[in-house]
Amino acid sequence: MTLLDGLWLASALTALAAGLFGRSPSAGPWLTALYGVQFLLVAFMGPLAYGADPVPASPAFSVLGYGLSWQFTALSWFFAVITAGAALAAAWFMSGAWGRHYAEQGGDLRLLQLALALNPSTMYVLLASRDFLSLFVGWELVSWASFVLMLAAGGVGVRWALRYLVYAIGGAMAVMAAMVLSHALTGSFEFGALAAVVPDLSAGTLWSLVILLSGGFGVKMGLLPFHLWQAGAYAETPGPGSAFLGAISSRMGLYAMLLTLFGVLGLGTLKALSIPWTPLEAHELLAWIAAFTIVLPTFTALKQNDARWLLAWHGIGQGGYMLMGVAMGDALASAGGLMHVFNHATYQAALFMAVTAVVYRTGTADLNKLGGLVTRMPLTFLVLLVGIIGLAGLPPMNGFVSKWLIYRALIDDGQPLLFVAAVVGTLGTIVSVYKLLHNIFLGQLRVEHESVREVPGSMLAPMLALSLIVFVTGLAPGLVLDWLTTVQRELGLAVLAPTLGGVERPDGGLDMLWVVGILFAGFGVGALIFLAGGRARTVHQLDNYAGGHFLTAEVRYHYSDNFYAGLMHRIGPWYRGSFQWLQDSVVAATDLLAQAAAGVYRVVQPAAWLLGVTVLALWWVAA
Amino acid sequence: MMALIVELVLMPAVAFVVGLAMLLMMRKIAAKIQRRVGPPFFQPLYDVVKFFGKQTQISHGLIHDVGIIVAVGGYIAAETLIPVPGMTGIADRTDVITLIYFLMVPSLGMALAAGQCANPNASIGISRALTAMLAYDIPFVIVIFGMSWMYGTTNLVQMVEYQQAHGWGLFQAPLLAFAGLFALQGMLGKQPFEIYVAPAEIATGPMVEMGGKYLGSLIVMQSFSLYTAGILYTTLFLGGGVTWIDFLVKAFLVVAIPMTIAFQFPRYRAEQMLGSLWKWPVLAGLLGLAVVMWS
Repeated sequence: MTLLDGLWLASALTALAAGLFGRSPSAGPWLTALYGVQFLLVAFMGPLAYGADPVPASPAFSVLGYGLSWQFTALSWFFAVITAGAALAAAWFMSGAWGRHYAEQGGDLRLLQLALALNPSTMYVLLASRDFLSLFVGWELVSWASFVLMLAAGGVGVRWALRYLVYAIGGAMAVMAAMVLSHALTGSFEFGALAAVVPDLSAGTLWSLVILLSGGFGVKMGLLPFHLWQAGAYAETPGPGSAFLGAISSRMGLYAMLLTLFGVLGLGTLKALSIPWTPLEAHELLAWIAAFTIVLPTFTALKQNDARWLLAWHGIGQGGYMLMGVAMGDALASAGGLMHVFNHATYQAALFMAVTAVVYRTGTADLNKLGGLVTRMPLTFLVLLVGIIGLAGLPPMNGFVSKWLIYRALIDDGQPLLFVAAVVGTLGTIVSVYKLLHNIFLGQLRVEHESVREVPGSMLAPMLALSLIVFVTGLAPGLVLDWLTTVQRELGLAVLAPTLGGVERPDGGLDMLWVVGILFAGFGVGALIFLAGGRARTVHQLDNYAGGHFLTAEVRYHYSDNFYAGLMHRIGPWYRGSFQWLQDSVVAATDLLAQAAAGVYRVVQPAAWLLGVTVLALWWVAA
Repeated sequence: MMALIVELVLMPAVAFVVGLAMLLMMRKIAAKIQRRVGPPFFQPLYDVVKFFGKQTQISHGLIHDVGIIVAVGGYIAAETLIPVPGMTGIADRTDVITLIYFLMVPSLGMALAAGQCANPNASIGISRALTAMLAYDIPFVIVIFGMSWMYGTTNLVQMVEYQQAHGWGLFQAPLLAFAGLFALQGMLGKQPFEIYVAPAEIATGPMVEMGGKYLGSLIVMQSFSLYTAGILYTTLFLGGGVTWIDFLVKAFLVVAIPMTIAFQFPRYRAEQMLGSLWKWPVLAGLLGLAVVMWS
């Protein structure tokens, strides 16, 4: 039995245990321990990230003469360690008070536990796939598992889960078409067989493969224009579930793209494939799609008034950085794109948990109905603060490092417009996440929240642990970048030579050890200067300047609604909802076509049509 | 190592002194334009000492204090990222991209402090300050990209070396230099782009609840920001400095330009500010970029 077999077994056992005992809130710690076992098993496969031989799975099937086999490589391991960590954190978060609360509110805790457990188990199958058939099997399993998780809460989530399903099926059709095409070209579902014939393929065939694969897998990533399902589906999933989904679920799309587009077709092929009548190549087209995926969803996030929706929209936008990095493909950019997968998982899970903690205590995620909670939930505030600094990509957190790698590479490559798009995305994120922090934790505390307390330890511990990872991998990004060199080698990309603090190069490198060190030294001096001043007295929040009026507890003295009124005055009219319009038109057109087809089939000589179709079908089968 | 530690101490110290002098210059320029005498030489220093020494110090909670510490401490740290004559600090270990994001940390500190004050004027001030950031940073990053591409490096030390060998960036990329100067006006929050202070509208915005050492710290922060803007522009476009004398002359001149423009103007509304900063400097920047990249 290999370690991979052990991991599959452990994750299946977790799912089984969740299905059997998940209803009882006291099962939470035991289930968390099982996720801990999964995480340990993945950790034991750690040597993969430093160049060890792939870990195979013992089971191997043969279907209609085509073999299915699985194994873990450095690429699989990198995504698996994030998956296992996110699942462990999510399970830990719901293992105590939150799970009891959820059950008391009438939620089906067993279903939620089972749905959560199914997700990592199916992901480990997908991450081990090494041919088109096993990839497709894993892909479908993952899609259905996340669908179940989105459904778990019922209510408004069901609508979004169904919308996801439609998109996911569409994506799967595209992937299947790519498989069929590949089979037609090679007579096999092996990756190696396709890779061998790639140099002989015509541009048209290659374009078909690129479009089908990136479109199919891009649906899961929420790439424009296939992004409309994601925010709602992730935001309306119960707290720990959305933390898990937001952290890693949609990155499975990136994994599959890396495996097929970069691992099989190869970056060289993408670079050689130019778009007629334009200076763009296929990989730049992907980078441009990524640029739009960064900017538009980020500015949609800015308009959200629900904390969960705001985070979910940012999750779509951050996916753009990952794709942009790997699509540019040089050592810096691809390391940045891949590292962003890790970084985003850590801070996004922490952010969703912090928001869930606020909902747990106050019952709302509406940014216009909160405020001033920092005095009541200081540790949750700290988690949210660390998380938004990571999400916004500012030093000293890890999100800065991955984005820096991408910016630096874009300057090297001479891509000013992509650079500006990447920076505009970051600026939009800063603007948006300050609103998130301010409207929940700063400003005036509402009367009804006077008695709110900090959340219990079972919820705080995973959040704080994630925040610590966000900080430590920002301080010493070399810890993660080291793994990525192996992944880059596996994918045939240029390989980065990282240091513990980042990247050393004479024409502008990055040493986070120094950056963070000097920042905190500065804070220390700042604190000394501050303490040199007279002793301060803390006053009540209503002891404030109000233009001559006296404030009372009944007065709402808090600015939250339409937080960026001036900005919206300018850019408000630019939000046209054209993607929503596009989606509605496709739906309407499909509906119309279906009705027309049904009408023709049913009204005009149904028997004759039936006969005709049967004859055609028989002729096709016989031929 | 010892030399590095001395540099790390000296660079912020010089920044503090020069920054206060720039603050004095700003007030003198305003006085000259408004036909007043203006403050005496040591007034900025007196102000800081007075604010820190006041007996009544009002805090609105822990984050109010921490935010102020981050605002001042962040700038103190940032000064070691920009090379000055004879000292490079840690400029060789980071680059200009790190610097522009690093400079957002003190602003975040001020935003946290203002937010905790629970005064809507402060919150509106921060919302406007962030809007302003979105306005001036877009032309500014175009400038950063163009200059990095032209010099073939993002390392500020190498940028200075390049200019001292091949001539100033100002003459090689005048359009980008113009865009940078325009963005500087917004970055310093000077009229017509001073929406986030707007004393008559939102009672000085983020500063509304600040007094004593809190306000004193913000004055220190402002003097650091004037100095940083001055020397960053000098480093990017005016060849840095060979000696401290020519370096400081350039830096003071750079800061004097936005000051002089500022006191001729009233205040723009947010959408007017976005409009002008997204139009002229962005156009000039993109044009300058095209010239730099295809010449």
